[in-house]
Amino acid sequence: MGVVCVYMYPVPEGKSGQQVVDSMQRQLELLGAVKTGNFNVDCETYLSNNPQGTPQRSLHLLHNSEQPASCFSVLDTGTTLVADVLFEVLMAKLTQSKSGKDGFYQQRKGFKIESKGPRFEISDFVIKIGSVSMASNFKGILVEVEYCPCAIPAECWDLMREMMQSFMGTVADTPPAIVKSKKDQFYTPADTINQYLEHFTNFRKATVASQQPR
Amino acid sequence: MSEQNQTESILQAIHLTQKLRSSVAKVFQNMADGCSVEKGNEKHILNKFHESLLAVNNDISDLEKTGNMLVSPSPVTANSMYLSNDPAIDKTPVYQQILQAYKWSNKISDLSGLAANVLEAQNKLKRSQPITIMQAKRPKRLPPTGHAFPQTVVEQTLNRLRKLPEISDIKTTHPLGSHAVLQITLGSVLKAQVALRGLMIEWVNVRGYTEENPDDSKLELWAKSRYEVFQKVTESCTAASLYFYTPHNAEFAINLFMKWFTQYRTLFSAKCSKCCNHYLNGLPPTWRDLATYEPYHDACRQ
Repeated sequence: MGVVCVYMYPVPEGKSGQQVVDSMQRQLELLGAVKTGNFNVDCETYLSNNPQGTPQRSLHLLHNSEQPASCFSVLDTGTTLVADVLFEVLMAKLTQSKSGKDGFYQQRKGFKIESKGPRFEISDFVIKIGSVSMASNFKGILVEVEYCPCAIPAECWDLMREMMQSFMGTVADTPPAIVKSKKDQFYTPADTINQYLEHFTNFRKATVASQQPR
Repeated sequence: MSEQNQTESILQAIHLTQKLRSSVAKVFQNMADGCSVEKGNEKHILNKFHESLLAVNNDISDLEKTGNMLVSPSPVTANSMYLSNDPAIDKTPVYQQILQAYKWSNKISDLSGLAANVLEAQNKLKRSQPITIMQAKRPKRLPPTGHAFPQTVVEQTLNRLRKLPEISDIKTTHPLGSHAVLQITLGSVLKAQVALRGLMIEWVNVRGYTEENPDDSKLELWAKSRYEVFQKVTESCTAASLYFYTPHNAEFAINLFMKWFTQYRTLFSAKCSKCCNHYLNGLPPTWRDLATYEPYHDACRQ
């Protein structure tokens, strides 16, 4: 597990998401990247059923195809739990209503958001170009770059920046906030999930904001 | 007779061409120079211009007439056309050039022979000495002593090396009796397995800090790193261990090697001294200069 940076790549007006993905793919192949399959990161959101008067709390359940046997759950306080995929069975139990009572959690319908697309490798770098979609609506593009040999962001940030700027330009000028806050510590898969969750939350907020004026 | 006529008309044609060129040049010269026109004087200028254009026109028609008079030369056989393309061998400086090249190549072979002698005398990479029949007559060379150090001396040397600030840890194991195998951790960048014979470096293998041994209790000396960076670093380390090898002063050699090796503490964060970049072809600078310790990309070091 190396250091991962996830960036939102802006889609210029008048271009479709697919066009941007294609042109970036071509650019990467010119740089010598080899396509090594596809990837998928998805996120579902649950809300707690509290007694009336107390605020509802949310829980995000995420999967990453890079860690296929793990399941990540993040509370809105930022607490992250990395568990086996069996955790989903427990979650199903928690959402079941039993003897007339509601379950502890309920799933937010139509709120599932995911990022998927091709995965590339250049030497020790892994690059993933994900198209984000929510309820099968295209939302934007997330580009993930991982440098596998190094686990400490401060050591390899400059190297990663030069690499990322070669195909993303100024998008990758500064490290993502989570990477910045953990510069001298070991990077973990949970940090990647938190980066994705942050972007997913932004996409959802943008959707809500654009729906409200209507 | 006709031939003479032909020559004359060709000469005339050339002459007319020159005339045409000069008159055209004159027109352009006039236009390029420009002139200030006083009021009422425009006609004069226009006339002048008109005259020069007329002169050009006349010249063209003259030239055309002469051109028509020219008969195309009698048909020539196909190969004779190339006659004029043959170079005059006497005039080309081939001989001098060949002589020069010959002199240079002679010089190069002499000098490279000298250089090879000097290098061989300074830098013997052979670790074993072939037993020759003539040995008795030759002055005896000292046998290498690098492998024959007792464990206590090896431990003392390693304790001294442990004090280098870049090295986080040196673990020693003795998997096959007396000779030690070191596991060196450099910051949180990389881990190296170094097999020693006495104090001589026999084998170096570098893997990433996060790459665990398949079985933690066992020493994994042979498994190559998954990552290209560390494979390159392993190559460089092997080259360096040969470069620093001195059979009669092994302690000195291992000190030099370790001092060089600690430069890899900045493997991911150092810039290449030549191209001033971090990134090149998917890799950071993986080579450290053997004398100056400066970081270089593999492609930049020449």
